[in-house]
Amino acid sequence: MRERLSFHIKRDSALHRLNPLTKLLLVLALILSAFLTPFYWTPHILAILVIPILSVIGRVGREYLSTAFRLILPAATFLFLMQAFFHPIGKEIIFAFYFLDMTLESLMFAFGNAMRIVVMVSAFTIFLLTTHPSELMSDLSRRGLPGQFAYVIISTLQILPQVQAKAQTIISAQRSRGLETEGGFFKRAGALIPLIGPLVFGSLVEVEERAIAIEARGFTSKHVKTSLHEIPDTPTDIFLRWFLTTLIAASIGLKLWLS
Amino acid sequence: MAFVNLQNVTYKYPLTKTPVLQNINLQVNEGEFVAVMGPNGAGKSTLCYALAGFVPHFFKGEISGSIEVDGKKSSESTLDEWVLNVGLAFQNPFNQISGAKYTVFEEIAFGLENIGVPREEMKDRVDEAMSLTGISDLADRSPYSLSGGQQQRVALTSILVMRPRLLVLDEPTSQMDPIGTREVFGVVRKMAEEGMTVVMVEHKVEWIAHFADRVIALKEGRVFLEGKPNDVLTSDLLVENGFGISRYTSAAREAKKQGLWKKDKLPVTLFEAAEGFKP
Amino acid sequence: MKISINDLRFTYPAGVEALRGISLEINPGEQVAIVGQNGAGKTTLVRHFNGLLRPSSGSVWVGDWDTSKYSVAKLASRVGYVFQNPDEQLFSRDVLTEVAFGPKNLGYKKNKVDELVGCALALTELNDKTETNPYDLSPTWRKMVALASIIAMDTPIVIFDEPTTGQDAVNIARIANVIAEIKKEGKTVITITHDIDFCAENFERVIALSNGEVLLDGEAHDVLGREEILAKTYVDPPQLTRLGKALGLKETVINQEEFLNALK
Repeated sequence: MRERLSFHIKRDSALHRLNPLTKLLLVLALILSAFLTPFYWTPHILAILVIPILSVIGRVGREYLSTAFRLILPAATFLFLMQAFFHPIGKEIIFAFYFLDMTLESLMFAFGNAMRIVVMVSAFTIFLLTTHPSELMSDLSRRGLPGQFAYVIISTLQILPQVQAKAQTIISAQRSRGLETEGGFFKRAGALIPLIGPLVFGSLVEVEERAIAIEARGFTSKHVKTSLHEIPDTPTDIFLRWFLTTLIAASIGLKLWLS
Repeated sequence: MAFVNLQNVTYKYPLTKTPVLQNINLQVNEGEFVAVMGPNGAGKSTLCYALAGFVPHFFKGEISGSIEVDGKKSSESTLDEWVLNVGLAFQNPFNQISGAKYTVFEEIAFGLENIGVPREEMKDRVDEAMSLTGISDLADRSPYSLSGGQQQRVALTSILVMRPRLLVLDEPTSQMDPIGTREVFGVVRKMAEEGMTVVMVEHKVEWIAHFADRVIALKEGRVFLEGKPNDVLTSDLLVENGFGISRYTSAAREAKKQGLWKKDKLPVTLFEAAEGFKP
Repeated sequence: MKISINDLRFTYPAGVEALRGISLEINPGEQVAIVGQNGAGKTTLVRHFNGLLRPSSGSVWVGDWDTSKYSVAKLASRVGYVFQNPDEQLFSRDVLTEVAFGPKNLGYKKNKVDELVGCALALTELNDKTETNPYDLSPTWRKMVALASIIAMDTPIVIFDEPTTGQDAVNIARIANVIAEIKKEGKTVITITHDIDFCAENFERVIALSNGEVLLDGEAHDVLGREEILAKTYVDPPQLTRLGKALGLKETVINQEEFLNALK
């Protein structure tokens, strides 16, 4: 049975102690500066320097690295290759492979984009690793975000591991009926059908029952909600939020001004 | 005036052709523990949803008649107000986990956060509810890592902690081991003694007989039989209509034919059976 | 087909030791019920029989196959497994296709598949529902479809995980009938259950697990009378067994017939 159903890792670090909204702004600032910057090297510096430093500050360096190698790098590499070969810019071919051509321009373009994706996914990963989702939810609804909205965000954070666990059970049930899930591509693709039906149907029932269950526990109550955990919100947070908001505004402003 | 009062309630879900509840009349007094039993498709779960306000507020559909709890009419209330008085736990424990919490303790506190209970009081109430249902040692576990039976205890505790005036339970012990089931019935009985009104759907006849004050047998959306556990659960009509009965009753009924059971009244509990069979 | 379990241990990746040295033999044609408290290791144990779980140490043999050397899909030809929740299993657009899925996977010829499916549908009383989409059936009937879809695989060993949970008296009787019928065919039936009266009425042998170990194992009579030991794993003896004790009957009785005979 799985004990861990979210990314969050309970530790004490400067990042863990920040208010969830501050961290959310940090993520936004990182992403926007990576995507809107007029300087080619910004995403690279963020990905190679800033993100790793943040993961160390948050004492989740090892977990971040493992996610990066298993998930983020392969995805970014795929994107890089696709764009490097297929993005039709530049003339001077520097590398050819059968009918595939790569130009210096397409290489640069693809590399920059891949790095942007690395920054975006990494920033979220570190956010999830250091933020307790129920704290995020409580904090956002305390700030006036409608409860339903906050809940959707939070339960989405938990949904992947749940769907994964459920899919595992369904696969087990089908393999027990002689379904071969190992082997070639077609065999495995064929094995998907008996998986999807129960997964979709199960999710429909689940959504309805869960809605009833949380409603029965006062979810849409008009009372002002309280929170089991004390949510940190220090002067440092307030200062950081001002700083990050300025940074975000600056990236947007710069982009608009230059375009 | 009864604490729970259903008058001529007939209800049809939006997509079904025939009514699931047909002309239900039901009165429950404050602090009474009523068990509801019946074959699959009898309308037990729908009755629970009706008491808890989800029929019709959540499911829509056509309803007639009136549902009253503590003098307030369901039709004149909103769901978010109604649930403050009426707590509901149902069968599938997995789908009752909020999905927003990491530990059992947080999960149980979820409802109290929603209704704005102050932090210190919240902790006390969660502790108290967990010790009542015997799950204090699960406080730091992830709710998803628990077995079905343990999750059912968490679901029950999550509702008990809200301290509803009326507690509605739909097969809350279906995945529990036998002694765990008996313990949960004991907890529910205790809540009733303390003044909570309880309506509980269950198949486990022996414990219904032992713990409940009254039994309602539903069939095809109607109240089929109603009365004291011993009267309803020994009725000859039950078996032929697809209801479960206790082994004590069925053994005594057979014994009666062979002259081995001498009393008029058939037994439902171990105690009654032992009394009656004693030479 | 015989199942041999030798000093089986299993630890979940999270570190929970769920089985702590289990040795058992289940003979061909036996009717075995596995009981025990929530978390005792019942499901973990039976998932080793068809290879869904692999021993951390020790071994499980099904006939002459060491389960750690065969895929689940291969083992499915010897061990059928009905999951607790039919919703995790059913996916076809009609009952007939659903029930045929398993036997087709096992590679039976068309007319053999038809024959097996026909028998399974008759046994589970689904004959009039073959065209229906399983999801349009009530949960009770979906359970029967799940049963049929495994029985149609015609495996020498059939496992039921909590078959009676959430079922009404009528359907429990139907399930008991299914078990009795496949017993007649000489198949091994292994059932996990909390319903101890159901266990007493339908099974010859009972294994009580507690904390990943075998607490009791033997004929239903011997096991179900041991009230104090069973209590350790949160199980009560059957109703009539308790009544027999309360009346001071000399022998342990577990079902109505025995009880009435003992009274005379």
